[in-house]
Amino acid sequence: MSSISVTPDPFTLVPYDVAEIRSLVEDAAALVEVSPGVDIALIVDEELFAPLTGHMSDVVDGRIVLWISGANFEDNRRPLHFSAEQARLDLAVMMLRAKDRLSEDFADAPPDAQLSRGERTAWDTYAAGRARRLGLPVRQPRQLYDFRLQHGFTDVADAAFTRCWETDHLTWAAVREICKETGAVDRGKSKVPVDLLRQKK
Amino acid sequence: MKKMLAESELARDDRFVRTKIEDRIFDPRGARIAQRDTGPAKMGVDRPAAGERSRSLMHGIFVGEIQALEGAGRTCYDFDDDAAPFQLKLDMARQCWDESRHCEISVKLGDHMGTEIGEYTESTFLFAAACNPDPVLRLCGVNRALEGLAIDVFKSMKDFGNEADDPVLEFCEDWMLADEVTHVKMGSDWLRRLTETDPDRRERALEFQRTVDAIFNLGGFRGEDDENPIQLARDFRRLAGFTEDENDSLAELARQSTEQARQMAEAATAALDASAQGS
Repeated sequence: MSSISVTPDPFTLVPYDVAEIRSLVEDAAALVEVSPGVDIALIVDEELFAPLTGHMSDVVDGRIVLWISGANFEDNRRPLHFSAEQARLDLAVMMLRAKDRLSEDFADAPPDAQLSRGERTAWDTYAAGRARRLGLPVRQPRQLYDFRLQHGFTDVADAAFTRCWETDHLTWAAVREICKETGAVDRGKSKVPVDLLRQKK
Repeated sequence: MKKMLAESELARDDRFVRTKIEDRIFDPRGARIAQRDTGPAKMGVDRPAAGERSRSLMHGIFVGEIQALEGAGRTCYDFDDDAAPFQLKLDMARQCWDESRHCEISVKLGDHMGTEIGEYTESTFLFAAACNPDPVLRLCGVNRALEGLAIDVFKSMKDFGNEADDPVLEFCEDWMLADEVTHVKMGSDWLRRLTETDPDRRERALEFQRTVDAIFNLGGFRGEDDENPIQLARDFRRLAGFTEDENDSLAELARQSTEQARQMAEAATAALDASAQGS
């Protein structure tokens, strides 16, 4: 049996319930079949609000370490309110990526803070497609738009998106290949760090 | 049919959820975020949450178009021909046609970006500018302040589409932008004609416009720096008939709003810190 921790505990700025979130994390881990015995730590940044969304999935010393913006859990239609449906979806995507990291297929992938936006979006698409097939209400056009922002509004990018979306098996090497194919790899390095929202003064 | 419709009486189906501007102002997280570097607020594909930010703004544009349609429509109906000449109402009717088309384009753009009608909340403060009982003041609020803001918003979105190489977004915003320039010109023309012999009324109307502009700048939403999500589109404003003095004055107003927001955030943070030390 793995241990699951949620930080902060309790929440002080938003009325999110730690027990409810812990239970959703447990459900997500079970849904994507994370090996029993793997510990999971979830950090929620409760200061961030919509639309400042973002999440990261890493594995540190065999332990899954997840970070997510509080905005991801927020009901867009009711600011400050927790949306279990939204949380369920994002946690599944995060957990799928964490599970990828525990496999050989993504053993060479750098931590999320070092991924390029193109790499990250391709990997997210792979996870979102699988989450949809697991029965979660993932919206394909939303994912496609995010993919196009980083890989281009071209037929080549759309074909790459379809491959990421539909497959049940992708590797880190394949993600890098996709970035070469769409030209995402040639995009100039941004001055804005990919983990900027995670950085606090 | 009732004349002078209040904001609270706008017709919406159950997909729409209304929010008040105060909800965001008094959100306890606001002060914390103001102290953090969350990246440039100006739209860009390499900004954190670029997709979500653009979807949220697109939805804001969509509900703004509905309110602009309602505002222009009310002006056709609320005043008799003595208060508002028939030709002015014809212009407003034409504007309704444009705004209706913009609503449809915005829905299609929402589909393109992966969002749905009602996914985000609606604030009706734009329509508030269309509630003035004096047609000249209303015209200034709607056709110069609100439609002027629309020029800035569409230019910012067009630039974002251009940067992302998204031809759909860029072209749609460009076409809508052209309409907004016409709407502002109509407002400026009617302001001049209706106040030709009444400089006091003209000044009151311009003062009302400045008040509405100040509201639209709220919290540094609009300005000329990277920290402003919406950029002041000076060139297009010039095409619409705003003078360079007016653009400078609006830019100054925007800087003051950004500074005020910063001071409010600092004060709120100090209050939070004091409260944490006291507890």
